[in-house]
Amino acid sequence: MSFKALTLILSIVMFAIVIELIRREKINFKYAFGWMIVSVLAIILTVFDTLLFQTADFFGFELASNFIFFTLLSVFVFLSLLMTVFLCQQNERNDKMAQKIGMLDLEVEQLKQKLEKEKK
Amino acid sequence: MNQSSKKILIIIPAYNEEGNIVKTIDELVSLQLPLTILVVNDGSKDQTALEAKKTGVQVLSLPFNLGIGGAVQTGFKYAYQHHFDVAVQVDGDCQHDVHFLKKLMDPVLQGEVDMTIGSRFIPPFTGYQSSFIRRIGINFFAGLISWLTDSKVTDPTSGFRVFNRKLIKVFADYYPSDFPEPEAIVIARRYHAKIREVPVEMRERIFGNSSIRYLKTLYYMIKVTFAILLDKIKTTKVHQDVI
Repeated sequence: MSFKALTLILSIVMFAIVIELIRREKINFKYAFGWMIVSVLAIILTVFDTLLFQTADFFGFELASNFIFFTLLSVFVFLSLLMTVFLCQQNERNDKMAQKIGMLDLEVEQLKQKLEKEKK
Repeated sequence: MNQSSKKILIIIPAYNEEGNIVKTIDELVSLQLPLTILVVNDGSKDQTALEAKKTGVQVLSLPFNLGIGGAVQTGFKYAYQHHFDVAVQVDGDCQHDVHFLKKLMDPVLQGEVDMTIGSRFIPPFTGYQSSFIRRIGINFFAGLISWLTDSKVTDPTSGFRVFNRKLIKVFADYYPSDFPEPEAIVIARRYHAKIREVPVEMRERIFGNSSIRYLKTLYYMIKVTFAILLDKIKTTKVHQDVI
Protein backbone atom coordinates (compact mmCIF):
# COMPACT_ATOMS: atom_id res chain seq x y z
CA MET A 1 0.00 0.00 0.00
CA SER A 2 1.36 3.37 -0.91
CA PHE A 3 2.04 6.06 1.61
CA LYS A 4 -0.50 8.27 -0.09
CA ALA A 5 -3.30 5.75 0.27
CA LEU A 6 -2.57 5.32 3.97
CA THR A 7 -2.69 9.07 4.60
CA LEU A 8 -5.89 9.34 2.61
CA ILE A 9 -7.53 6.59 4.62
CA LEU A 10 -6.42 8.21 7.90
CA SER A 11 -7.77 11.62 6.87
CA ILE A 12 -11.09 10.14 5.79
CA VAL A 13 -11.38 8.13 9.02
CA MET A 14 -10.70 11.28 11.01
CA PHE A 15 -13.36 13.18 9.11
CA ALA A 16 -15.81 10.34 9.65
CA ILE A 17 -15.08 10.26 13.38
CA VAL A 18 -15.68 14.00 13.68
CA ILE A 19 -19.01 13.68 11.86
CA GLU A 20 -19.99 10.70 13.99
CA LEU A 21 -19.10 12.56 17.20
CA ILE A 22 -21.33 15.44 16.18
CA ARG A 23 -24.12 13.05 15.26
CA ARG A 24 -23.92 11.38 18.66
CA GLU A 25 -23.75 14.80 20.28
CA LYS A 26 -20.44 14.00 21.94
CA ILE A 27 -19.00 17.33 20.77
CA ASN A 28 -20.66 20.61 19.96
CA PHE A 29 -20.57 21.95 16.46
CA LYS A 30 -18.74 24.98 17.86
CA TYR A 31 -15.71 22.86 18.76
CA ALA A 32 -16.13 20.31 15.99
CA PHE A 33 -15.96 22.92 13.27
CA GLY A 34 -12.20 23.41 13.65
CA TRP A 35 -11.62 19.67 13.50
CA MET A 36 -13.81 19.40 10.40
CA ILE A 37 -11.71 22.00 8.64
CA VAL A 38 -8.51 20.23 9.68
CA SER A 39 -9.70 16.85 8.42
CA VAL A 40 -10.98 18.27 5.12
CA LEU A 41 -7.68 20.06 4.67
CA ALA A 42 -5.83 16.80 5.30
CA ILE A 43 -7.88 15.05 2.61
CA ILE A 44 -7.30 17.85 0.09
CA LEU A 45 -3.56 17.92 0.74
CA THR A 46 -3.31 14.14 0.40
CA VAL A 47 -5.16 14.09 -2.91
CA PHE A 48 -3.41 17.13 -4.35
CA ASP A 49 -0.03 16.55 -2.77
CA THR A 50 1.76 18.81 -5.23
CA LEU A 51 -0.05 21.65 -3.49
CA LEU A 52 1.64 20.60 -0.27
CA PHE A 53 5.08 20.47 -1.86
CA GLN A 54 4.58 23.84 -3.51
CA THR A 55 3.53 25.46 -0.23
CA ALA A 56 6.48 23.93 1.60
CA ASP A 57 8.78 25.17 -1.12
CA PHE A 58 7.23 28.61 -0.99
CA PHE A 59 8.03 28.94 2.71
CA GLY A 60 11.57 27.67 2.14
CA PHE A 61 11.30 24.19 3.68
CA GLU A 62 13.56 21.69 1.98
CA LEU A 63 11.43 18.75 3.03
CA ALA A 64 7.63 18.75 2.92
CA SER A 65 7.63 16.59 6.06
CA ASN A 66 9.44 19.34 7.98
CA PHE A 67 6.79 21.74 6.84
CA ILE A 68 4.06 19.44 8.10
CA PHE A 69 5.77 18.95 11.47
CA PHE A 70 6.36 22.66 11.86
CA THR A 71 2.77 23.55 11.01
CA LEU A 72 1.30 20.91 13.28
CA LEU A 73 3.53 21.88 16.18
CA SER A 74 2.66 25.56 15.86
CA VAL A 75 -1.01 24.77 15.67
CA PHE A 76 -0.83 22.61 18.80
CA VAL A 77 1.04 25.23 20.80
CA PHE A 78 -1.65 27.79 20.07
CA LEU A 79 -4.35 25.24 20.60
CA SER A 80 -3.06 24.40 24.07
CA LEU A 81 -2.88 28.07 24.92
CA LEU A 82 -6.49 28.42 23.83
CA MET A 83 -7.36 25.35 25.89
CA THR A 84 -5.76 26.95 28.95
CA VAL A 85 -7.88 30.04 28.46
CA PHE A 86 -10.92 27.84 28.10
CA LEU A 87 -9.99 25.86 31.22
CA CYS A 88 -9.55 29.04 33.28
CA GLN A 89 -12.89 30.31 32.09
CA GLN A 90 -14.58 27.07 33.09
CA ASN A 91 -12.79 27.10 36.42
CA GLU A 92 -13.95 30.61 37.17
CA ARG A 93 -17.51 29.78 36.24
CA ASN A 94 -17.29 26.71 38.43
CA ASP A 95 -16.08 28.74 41.42
CA LYS A 96 -18.75 31.36 40.89
CA MET A 97 -21.40 28.69 40.81
CA ALA A 98 -20.07 27.06 43.97
CA GLN A 99 -20.22 30.43 45.73
CA LYS A 100 -23.71 31.05 44.49
CA ILE A 101 -24.85 27.58 45.55
CA GLY A 102 -23.42 28.19 49.02
CA MET A 103 -25.20 31.52 49.29
CA LEU A 104 -28.51 30.18 48.00
CA ASP A 105 -28.25 27.21 50.35
CA LEU A 106 -27.90 29.48 53.33
CA GLU A 107 -30.78 31.63 52.13
CA VAL A 108 -33.08 28.62 51.70
CA GLU A 109 -32.19 27.44 55.19
CA GLN A 110 -32.90 30.85 56.67
CA LEU A 111 -36.23 31.09 54.85
CA LYS A 112 -37.23 27.65 56.09
CA GLN A 113 -36.43 28.61 59.66
CA LYS A 114 -38.42 31.82 59.28
CA LEU A 115 -41.40 29.90 57.91
CA GLU A 116 -41.31 27.42 60.77
CA LYS A 117 -41.21 30.23 63.30
CA GLU A 118 -44.20 31.88 61.67
CA LYS A 119 -46.13 28.61 61.74
CA LYS A 120 -45.62 28.34 65.47
CA MET B 1 -24.51 57.56 58.97
CA ASN B 2 -23.29 57.36 62.52
CA GLN B 3 -20.87 54.76 63.70
CA SER B 4 -23.20 52.56 65.71
CA SER B 5 -25.72 52.01 62.93
CA LYS B 6 -23.16 50.52 60.58
CA LYS B 7 -23.73 46.88 59.76
CA ILE B 8 -20.65 44.77 60.43
CA LEU B 9 -20.02 41.30 59.05
CA ILE B 10 -17.32 39.02 60.41
CA ILE B 11 -16.11 36.63 57.72
CA ILE B 12 -14.45 33.49 59.04
CA PRO B 13 -13.10 31.27 56.27
CA ALA B 14 -12.74 27.75 57.63
CA TYR B 15 -11.34 24.58 56.12
CA ASN B 16 -11.15 21.58 58.43
CA GLU B 17 -11.18 23.69 61.59
CA GLU B 18 -13.52 21.63 63.78
CA GLY B 19 -11.00 21.91 66.62
CA ASN B 20 -10.71 25.70 66.50
CA ILE B 21 -13.87 27.14 65.03
CA VAL B 22 -16.04 27.13 68.16
CA LYS B 23 -13.36 28.84 70.21
CA THR B 24 -12.95 31.52 67.55
CA ILE B 25 -16.71 32.15 67.48
CA ASP B 26 -17.03 32.13 71.26
CA GLU B 27 -14.28 34.70 71.58
CA LEU B 28 -16.02 36.94 69.06
CA VAL B 29 -19.40 36.57 70.74
CA SER B 30 -17.92 37.36 74.15
CA LEU B 31 -16.84 40.77 72.86
CA GLN B 32 -20.54 41.74 72.86
CA LEU B 33 -20.24 43.96 69.83
CA PRO B 34 -23.07 44.39 67.32
CA LEU B 35 -21.71 41.93 64.77
CA THR B 36 -23.06 39.38 62.34
CA ILE B 37 -20.81 36.35 62.16
CA LEU B 38 -20.57 34.36 58.94
CA VAL B 39 -18.53 31.17 58.82
CA VAL B 40 -17.63 30.23 55.26
CA ASN B 41 -17.09 26.50 55.41
CA ASP B 42 -14.81 25.84 52.47
CA GLY B 43 -15.81 22.27 51.69
CA SER B 44 -14.38 20.90 54.92
CA LYS B 45 -14.08 17.15 55.26
CA ASP B 46 -14.59 17.28 59.01
CA GLN B 47 -17.39 18.57 61.24
CA THR B 48 -16.55 22.27 60.89
CA ALA B 49 -20.01 23.23 59.62
CA LEU B 50 -21.84 21.25 62.29
CA GLU B 51 -19.68 22.62 65.10
CA ALA B 52 -20.12 26.17 63.85
CA LYS B 53 -23.90 25.80 63.48
CA LYS B 54 -24.22 24.72 67.10
CA THR B 55 -23.11 28.19 68.17
CA GLY B 56 -26.01 29.76 66.27
CA VAL B 57 -23.97 31.82 63.82
CA GLN B 58 -24.61 31.83 60.08
CA VAL B 59 -22.77 29.08 58.26
CA LEU B 60 -22.33 29.21 54.53
CA SER B 61 -21.11 25.89 53.19
CA LEU B 62 -19.42 25.74 49.80
CA PRO B 63 -20.11 22.52 47.88
CA PHE B 64 -16.38 21.87 47.44
CA ASN B 65 -13.06 23.37 48.45
CA LEU B 66 -12.32 26.64 46.66
CA GLY B 67 -9.27 27.65 48.66
CA ILE B 68 -8.90 30.59 51.01
CA GLY B 69 -9.41 33.20 48.28
CA GLY B 70 -12.67 31.75 47.02
CA ALA B 71 -13.96 31.35 50.57
CA VAL B 72 -13.16 34.91 51.62
CA GLN B 73 -14.63 36.23 48.38
CA THR B 74 -17.88 34.39 49.15
CA GLY B 75 -17.94 36.38 52.37
CA PHE B 76 -17.50 39.62 50.44
CA LYS B 77 -20.31 38.66 48.09
CA TYR B 78 -22.55 37.93 51.04
CA ALA B 79 -21.59 41.24 52.64
CA TYR B 80 -22.30 43.12 49.43
CA GLN B 81 -25.62 41.42 48.80
CA HIS B 82 -26.85 41.94 52.36
CA HIS B 83 -25.77 45.58 52.46
CA PHE B 84 -23.09 45.38 55.11
CA ASP B 85 -21.03 48.53 55.58
CA VAL B 86 -17.98 46.88 57.06
CA ALA B 87 -16.48 43.42 56.59
CA VAL B 88 -13.92 41.87 58.90
CA GLN B 89 -11.79 38.90 57.97
CA VAL B 90 -10.77 36.67 60.86
CA ASP B 91 -9.07 33.30 60.41
CA GLY B 92 -10.92 30.32 61.80
CA ASP B 93 -7.87 28.86 63.50
CA CYS B 94 -7.79 31.05 66.63
CA GLN B 95 -4.56 32.65 65.46
CA HIS B 96 -6.01 36.12 65.68
CA ASP B 97 -6.62 37.62 69.08
CA VAL B 98 -10.04 39.17 68.57
CA HIS B 99 -9.61 41.44 71.56
CA PHE B 100 -7.90 43.74 69.09
CA LEU B 101 -10.96 43.78 66.87
CA LYS B 102 -12.36 47.07 68.09
CA LYS B 103 -9.03 48.83 67.62
CA LEU B 104 -8.81 47.34 64.16
CA MET B 105 -12.34 48.40 63.20
CA ASP B 106 -12.35 51.92 64.58
CA PRO B 107 -10.37 53.64 61.79
CA VAL B 108 -12.68 52.09 59.18
CA LEU B 109 -15.87 52.79 61.15
CA GLN B 110 -14.86 56.41 61.58
CA GLY B 111 -14.18 56.68 57.87
CA GLU B 112 -10.50 57.53 58.32
CA VAL B 113 -9.30 54.69 56.10
CA ASP B 114 -10.80 52.11 53.72
CA MET B 115 -8.98 49.13 55.12
CA THR B 116 -7.00 48.14 58.20
CA ILE B 117 -4.58 45.26 58.59
CA GLY B 118 -3.67 43.74 61.92
CA SER B 119 0.13 43.67 62.02
CA ARG B 120 2.15 41.59 64.46
CA PHE B 121 5.34 43.47 63.63
CA ILE B 122 4.46 46.90 64.91
CA PRO B 123 5.36 47.67 68.53
CA PRO B 124 4.31 47.50 71.32
CA PHE B 125 3.20 43.87 70.91
CA THR B 126 5.69 41.11 70.46
CA GLY B 127 3.60 37.97 70.54
CA TYR B 128 3.87 35.11 68.11
CA GLN B 129 5.73 36.30 65.03
CA SER B 130 5.78 33.21 62.82
CA SER B 131 8.72 30.98 61.96
CA PHE B 132 12.09 32.25 60.75
CA ILE B 133 11.65 31.14 57.15
CA ARG B 134 8.21 32.63 56.90
CA ARG B 135 9.43 35.88 58.41
CA ILE B 136 11.91 36.16 55.54
CA GLY B 137 9.02 35.80 53.10
CA ILE B 138 6.87 38.26 54.98
CA ASN B 139 9.67 40.84 55.05
CA PHE B 140 10.30 40.36 51.37
CA PHE B 141 6.65 41.04 50.51
CA ALA B 142 6.47 43.90 52.97
CA GLY B 143 9.33 45.56 51.09
CA LEU B 144 7.97 44.74 47.66
CA ILE B 145 4.44 45.92 48.38
CA SER B 146 5.55 49.02 50.24
CA TRP B 147 7.70 49.93 47.26
CA LEU B 148 5.08 49.16 44.62
CA THR B 149 2.09 50.71 46.31
CA ASP B 150 3.78 53.62 47.97
CA SER B 151 2.31 52.73 51.35
CA LYS B 152 4.05 51.28 54.38
CA VAL B 153 3.10 47.68 55.02
CA THR B 154 4.82 45.48 57.60
CA ASP B 155 2.59 42.39 57.69
CA PRO B 156 1.27 41.69 54.19
CA THR B 157 0.27 38.09 54.89
CA SER B 158 -1.87 38.93 57.89
CA GLY B 159 -5.42 37.69 57.38
CA PHE B 160 -6.82 39.86 60.17
CA ARG B 161 -8.37 42.73 58.24
CA VAL B 162 -11.22 45.20 58.10
CA PHE B 163 -12.74 46.56 54.89
CA ASN B 164 -15.28 49.26 54.15
CA ARG B 165 -18.16 49.10 51.66
CA LYS B 166 -16.03 50.39 48.81
CA LEU B 167 -13.59 47.50 49.11
CA ILE B 168 -16.34 44.98 49.81
CA LYS B 169 -17.66 45.82 46.35
CA VAL B 170 -14.24 45.57 44.73
CA PHE B 171 -13.43 42.21 46.33
CA ALA B 172 -16.91 40.75 45.76
CA ASP B 173 -16.15 41.16 42.10
CA TYR B 174 -12.55 39.99 42.09
CA TYR B 175 -10.43 38.46 44.80
CA PRO B 176 -7.17 36.57 44.15
CA SER B 177 -7.38 32.84 44.70
CA ASP B 178 -4.37 30.93 46.03
CA PHE B 179 -2.47 33.08 48.50
CA PRO B 180 -4.60 36.17 48.35
CA GLU B 181 -3.50 38.41 51.22
CA PRO B 182 -0.48 40.24 49.74
CA GLU B 183 -2.14 40.58 46.35
CA ALA B 184 -5.32 41.98 47.88
CA ILE B 185 -3.34 44.92 49.27
CA VAL B 186 -2.05 45.76 45.81
CA ILE B 187 -5.57 45.54 44.37
CA ALA B 188 -6.96 47.75 47.13
CA ARG B 189 -4.25 50.31 46.42
CA ARG B 190 -5.12 50.20 42.74
CA TYR B 191 -8.56 51.42 43.75
CA HIS B 192 -6.87 54.20 45.71
CA ALA B 193 -7.84 52.68 49.04
CA LYS B 194 -6.35 54.17 52.18
CA ILE B 195 -4.77 51.41 54.24
CA ARG B 196 -3.57 51.51 57.81
CA GLU B 197 -1.87 48.86 59.88
CA VAL B 198 -2.87 48.41 63.49
CA PRO B 199 -0.63 46.59 65.97
CA VAL B 200 -2.10 43.27 67.10
CA GLU B 201 -0.89 40.15 68.81
CA MET B 202 -1.15 36.78 67.17
CA ARG B 203 -1.01 33.31 68.63
CA GLU B 204 0.38 30.08 67.41
CA ARG B 205 -2.18 27.68 65.99
CA ILE B 206 -3.53 25.24 68.50
CA PHE B 207 -4.90 22.52 66.24
CA GLY B 208 -3.96 21.54 62.72
CA ASN B 209 -1.57 22.96 60.21
CA SER B 210 -1.47 26.33 58.60
CA SER B 211 -2.10 26.15 54.89
CA ILE B 212 1.40 27.38 54.05
CA ARG B 213 4.02 24.79 54.88
CA TYR B 214 7.78 25.28 54.84
CA LEU B 215 8.45 23.58 51.54
CA LYS B 216 5.78 25.62 49.91
CA THR B 217 7.29 28.89 51.04
CA LEU B 218 9.57 29.31 48.05
CA TYR B 219 6.83 28.48 45.57
CA TYR B 220 4.58 30.85 47.45
CA MET B 221 7.12 33.66 47.23
CA ILE B 222 7.73 33.27 43.51
CA LYS B 223 4.06 32.89 42.67
CA VAL B 224 2.89 35.83 44.72
CA THR B 225 5.71 38.04 43.44
CA PHE B 226 4.58 37.39 39.89
CA ALA B 227 0.96 37.92 40.82
CA ILE B 228 1.77 41.23 42.50
CA LEU B 229 3.85 42.45 39.57
CA LEU B 230 1.16 41.42 37.09
CA ASP B 231 -1.43 43.22 39.17
CA LYS B 232 0.44 46.42 38.53
CA ILE B 233 -0.29 46.24 34.81
CA LYS B 234 -3.98 45.50 35.22
CA THR B 235 -6.42 48.33 34.79
CA THR B 236 -9.13 49.50 37.11
CA LYS B 237 -12.48 48.20 36.03
CA VAL B 238 -15.80 49.89 36.57
CA HIS B 239 -17.86 47.36 38.45
CA GLN B 240 -21.52 46.96 37.86
CA ASP B 241 -22.99 43.56 38.45
CA VAL B 242 -20.89 41.87 41.08
CA ILE B 243 -23.09 39.10 42.33
